[in-house]
Amino acid sequence: MFGSRRKPVEGALSLAYGQGGGVRNMPWRKYAVIYKSVLLENLQYVANVALGFFTYFVFIYIYIRLWGYMYRSPEELIAGYTKEQMIWYVMMTEMLCFGANANVVAGEVARDIRGGNIAYLMNKPYHYTLYILARYTGEWSVRLPIYAAFAVLIGAVLVGPLPHFRWITLPVMALCAVLGITINAVFKLCISLFSFWIEDTTPFQWIYNKLILVVGIVFPVEIFPQTLQPLLKLTPIYTVCYGPAKLVVDFRLEKCVEILAAQAVYLAVGCGLMFLIYRKGVKRLYVNGG
Amino acid sequence: MLTAAKNQLRVCFLSIKYNIMREMVNKVTFLTNVAFMVLNDASILVQWFILFRLRDDVGGYSLREVLMLWGLVAASFGLSNLLFARVLSLPNLIINGKLDAFLVQPKNVLLGVLTSETRISAIGDFLYGVILVCVCRPGVGGFFLFLLFTITGAIAFTAFALLLGSLSFWFVRMDILQNQMLMGMINFGSYPDGIFQGAARVLLYVLIPVGMALWLPAHVMARFDGKMLLAVLGYVFLLSVAAVAVFYRGLRRYASGNLMEARL
Repeated sequence: MFGSRRKPVEGALSLAYGQGGGVRNMPWRKYAVIYKSVLLENLQYVANVALGFFTYFVFIYIYIRLWGYMYRSPEELIAGYTKEQMIWYVMMTEMLCFGANANVVAGEVARDIRGGNIAYLMNKPYHYTLYILARYTGEWSVRLPIYAAFAVLIGAVLVGPLPHFRWITLPVMALCAVLGITINAVFKLCISLFSFWIEDTTPFQWIYNKLILVVGIVFPVEIFPQTLQPLLKLTPIYTVCYGPAKLVVDFRLEKCVEILAAQAVYLAVGCGLMFLIYRKGVKRLYVNGG
Repeated sequence: MLTAAKNQLRVCFLSIKYNIMREMVNKVTFLTNVAFMVLNDASILVQWFILFRLRDDVGGYSLREVLMLWGLVAASFGLSNLLFARVLSLPNLIINGKLDAFLVQPKNVLLGVLTSETRISAIGDFLYGVILVCVCRPGVGGFFLFLLFTITGAIAFTAFALLLGSLSFWFVRMDILQNQMLMGMINFGSYPDGIFQGAARVLLYVLIPVGMALWLPAHVMARFDGKMLLAVLGYVFLLSVAAVAVFYRGLRRYASGNLMEARL
């Protein structure tokens, strides 16, 4: 009785992969199916997410103590931020970093290329890079909300409520966070795709990660010297970490529009680069014979 | 006895040498890993320059003292990963029954396991630590103290990792605990102890060996104190003895995985 029933995901996959011309009519549907299957898979291991809380808590605790030391009085402003805003800023950027960790995806792509698995994946009826992005989105869709809840809990207990926070702005913040996460993943994918040319791209990932950490995660852009700020706003850091966290701690409509516009431009440029590098790299793979 | 110890040391040295030679087969990757790790570590300096623009001290440390602490953390972590990187994958060896290959060797099991892997990026960490401390001009005595504390720090880091990793003989998922506690040790150790107060500070001196392995040596390097130096040496010795004892105690419980594999 049960043997004749197809699982919902399998059924959806077969529909998306071409029964009745599904792919041609709705090219994004197959990625939605990949997303759904990874999401369902990750929902089975929700408890594993909690294992990463300790490291997240350590980071946040260090920054609470550090900023507690740096602020001489509760009323003091540093770069226009109160102590609570500064700590919440770090909590939000760290939450995005832990909840949507793109290192796994970057490592997977580099391994696929180095190990030759790409030769099998590139023949499938999807674009490899979009397949990876769909998988990644399915992974963080489970992790990020759990980290967000944990961050809010820690913040409420150890820091106190965020001043001037308006719940009505939450959907825009969420959109900004999703765009930031995707831009980060696209850039990390671009770096990993260089594995077509060089054996190990890990050192380049270190530098990118450290730049994001030091310039975007730990400090808001305003804390850097005035002369550097316009330059920093042109980097992915502005759209990946600063933008989403800034809107959470200090929401302003004009800032929101500016960040969303910058994200749209970065996403378009990033995706263009990603497709270009992949196309060039795949040709090289053909020459090398896989 | 002395000859046996000498032979054992020679085997360890050769093991590490061949690990490095294996990684040097691709010279470009090798050099890129080392150079970029130095750059990667150096980028954190931006954080301290920003913080010291805001205040003259952070947790009672001057910029020079923070850089010395950073140098010590990087060099200790680097040396540990250069010589004993396998300690980080010890839980995996135990759980998957991969210790068999080491048990049949006519040399010390623990040293054989620990020296069987080298992380090349650790050379970058170690070099960065040494360069940073040299930039701080600690003087000849200060530099020798730094080298001594780099060795004790590396031993403490390895012993702590070994202690946690050896718990895999009894419990599962100890790799996660080991990883998180070691990351905690590095993260806490990278910041001045003055910003931590109360119970947290006590825990960091007792539960996670950050205080005794990194902060106290940094204090001795800043202002020499013979008693503190002895305390650090004594603590590292006791931690190492405890870690080795737990490993061999656990090894009695080890069951072979009947895994056939070749170690090249």
